[in-house]
Amino acid sequence: MSEAEVKVENEILEDGNSQVYELGYLLVPSIKEEDLGVNYGNLKELVASFGGEIITDEMPKAINLAYSMQKVTSNVRQKFSTAYFGWTKFIMDTQKVLEMKKHLDLDPNFIRFLILKTVKENTIAVKRFARGETYRRPKTKSSENETVVPINKEEIDKEIEALIAV
Amino acid sequence: MKQDYFSANNIKYIDYKDVEILKKFLSPNGKIMSHKRTGVTAKNQRALANAIKHARFLGLLPFVVK
Repeated sequence: MSEAEVKVENEILEDGNSQVYELGYLLVPSIKEEDLGVNYGNLKELVASFGGEIITDEMPKAINLAYSMQKVTSNVRQKFSTAYFGWTKFIMDTQKVLEMKKHLDLDPNFIRFLILKTVKENTIAVKRFARGETYRRPKTKSSENETVVPINKEEIDKEIEALIAV
Repeated sequence: MKQDYFSANNIKYIDYKDVEILKKFLSPNGKIMSHKRTGVTAKNQRALANAIKHARFLGLLPFVVK
């Protein structure tokens, strides 16, 4: 079964019309935490309605923005210093993505969003694992040094005696 | 950083969401470090610069630190 699924996915990619995309977005902080799930569900439905197949995604989280952003909605300028940041990764037809972008442009819940071409593989988890490796390296070196020291004790004693004798 | 950080850590795709890694390549003022200082290959330096710019757009990284 799994092989068949993989083949189907490959066929979609080999069409030449489909691509792996990632949508990163900032939601307006005026949304209540309870309603966040609803917005998140709506976004998933939106992606699905444009024929998108969701690969991975993350729930929007409240973050402090690195700088304050402005957005004009119905001739009112709004300033934001916090927002909900979330992302979804999906496979979609290249033409449909443009249509989805036009749809998202009109959505008042978004401060900003970014649609990028990306790869299917999980890009974050690999990095965290790799970072762990870099911290392990000095530990292995120190443990090697410790194992070497006790073996030489007798030799060192003899050397010291020899020095004292001189 | 003499060696290429990304090939040393087996990172094939530089992700704009991984802010902790991207921060290593910013100067105290928030500017992108030159490839001379980062030691990253030309290909990865281009991908890194793009990732930082995407992160800046979404407010994950600052444009300037005063």
